Amino acid sequence: MAELIGSGILYYLTSAGLIAIGVYGFITGPEILRRILALNIISAGIFMLMIVLAYRGGANPAITTDATILVDPILHALVLTGLVVAVSTTAFALALLARAKRHADASEQP
Amino acid sequence: MIVMLLMLPLLGSLLMIIRPAIAPLLTLVIAVASNVLALQLLQQISEEGTMQWLLAGWPAGLGIVWQAGTLTALLILLTTVLQLLVGLYAFVTHKRDKLAAVFWPLSNLLQFGLIALWLSRDLFNLYICLELLGLVAVALVSLAGGKAIKPAINYLLLSLLGSLCYLLGVVLLYGIHGILDIATLASQWQDNQLSYIALLLMSGGLMLKAALWPLHLWLPGAHSAAPAPVSALLSALVVKGPLYILCLIWIKLAAVQQASAMAPLFIATGMAALVFGGWSALRTPFAKTMVAYSTVAQLGYALLALGFLLKFSHPLFFAALWLFVLSHALAKAACFLAIGEISATLGGKRLTALKGASQTMPLAMFAFALSGVSLIGLPPSGGFLGKWTLVQGIWQHQGQLLWMLPLVLVTLLSAAYVMRVVVLTFDQAKPVAPDFAPKLLPQWLALVPALAVCGMAFLSEPLLLLLQADAL
Repeated sequence: MAELIGSGILYYLTSAGLIAIGVYGFITGPEILRRILALNIISAGIFMLMIVLAYRGGANPAITTDATILVDPILHALVLTGLVVAVSTTAFALALLARAKRHADASEQP
Repeated sequence: MIVMLLMLPLLGSLLMIIRPAIAPLLTLVIAVASNVLALQLLQQISEEGTMQWLLAGWPAGLGIVWQAGTLTALLILLTTVLQLLVGLYAFVTHKRDKLAAVFWPLSNLLQFGLIALWLSRDLFNLYICLELLGLVAVALVSLAGGKAIKPAINYLLLSLLGSLCYLLGVVLLYGIHGILDIATLASQWQDNQLSYIALLLMSGGLMLKAALWPLHLWLPGAHSAAPAPVSALLSALVVKGPLYILCLIWIKLAAVQQASAMAPLFIATGMAALVFGGWSALRTPFAKTMVAYSTVAQLGYALLALGFLLKFSHPLFFAALWLFVLSHALAKAACFLAIGEISATLGGKRLTALKGASQTMPLAMFAFALSGVSLIGLPPSGGFLGKWTLVQGIWQHQGQLLWMLPLVLVTLLSAAYVMRVVVLTFDQAKPVAPDFAPKLLPQWLALVPALAVCGMAFLSEPLLLLLQADAL
């Protein structure tokens, strides 16, 4: 039992760690691509937190195969929506970055 | 009706992407129709009281709740009115200013995102609206191309960080309470450390997105790089979205102790925004950057009013907060359109380009001066009404009268940066070409919101009645 709770804390710590790494990367990284990746890591941390929170209630059902344990479906739906948002924002940011690169190249040429 | 309000701009923007040729005309048609619908909604709500919608019929807790009180209806009307004015301005000038064709669908998406945001009463749905608003705003900024890309990327990155902070707060709140609907959440609110941290995270993200001091650094670059109609939309409407959510979470959700613990911070940052934003506006050599810094300063008033509202929970402060928002939206739209029109006609981005504009382009200058009257808070204007209500609220709490002094100081500061421009335009104008004929219609369009903000002073009683404490 203690072992199970321990691994639950592990998940919380991992998501907190991901968020911390992302925030650190966002603040320090001077390159824009690095910052976009850092934002992705933060969102991965938040999504992981959501998934872990969905399994509260039982001791640590995240690693059981017991189908009777209740898992919060709303959080899963939110993670799905969040993923869609994250993918589209990343795509948009990368497209904008590519345009900035083209503009920089064009202004260097003449 | 509410479905039409949302579906018109959404479907319209899709149609505009398929058929770009009809986009400008379609935007105007949609804007006119939305105005009629928004007016009907406001009338209905002021007669029958708050309305509520359950999306797809799911009850709160499973589904998403939309709710419209008088404040929401007013904000929807503001959105559609500004959309119409800016749309008309863009329609008249888009050939001269080479406005990109994507402006039309994007401005409609902006309207869609804003209306959904004013209506939503679900924390996660608000996150989606925020993200939609942020993406559309960044895309609009990047329309100017070239030099605007860098501020646009900067804006995008900070806006995404802000939304993620907000999302983390939402997840923590869901972890504690297991609910996302604001009304239900407020009734089950647990006053503990974790919920406080969640609120702080959400506030940080929202303040970053609303460009509230000291998180405003992205705003002047982004708003001044964008084309004039876009700047008007961004400054007048987009920054108000996160501010609205900020008010929603602190007024509706937070426990009394949490709110009153936060109040001094809001008051202090509001004051700092007024001082530093005003000072930067006074110092900058560029016309549009000045107007953008003035947005930073004016948002300080709203934050100040929010701080006082949380501290004393007096309904007058609530009215003052939204009067500031409404008058600032109208005044800032007029400012950006007027400055944009003058810069486009006379050429040059610097303030010195405005030299003698009172002789060459008197109408646009009149629009700028009128909106300046509201920014300073001189009667008769919406800004005066807001400030009067704020001072009236402070007056009713003995021992708070010391607050008058900084208020007078920041008023003088805003008078200084407005007057700086106005004085400049009365200089001797540079000789203009003999065929110099500035377009009159865009100048009139800049004048309309300026006149509307003055008109707010004559509608003070109905406005104050609409902005009662239960309007949110």
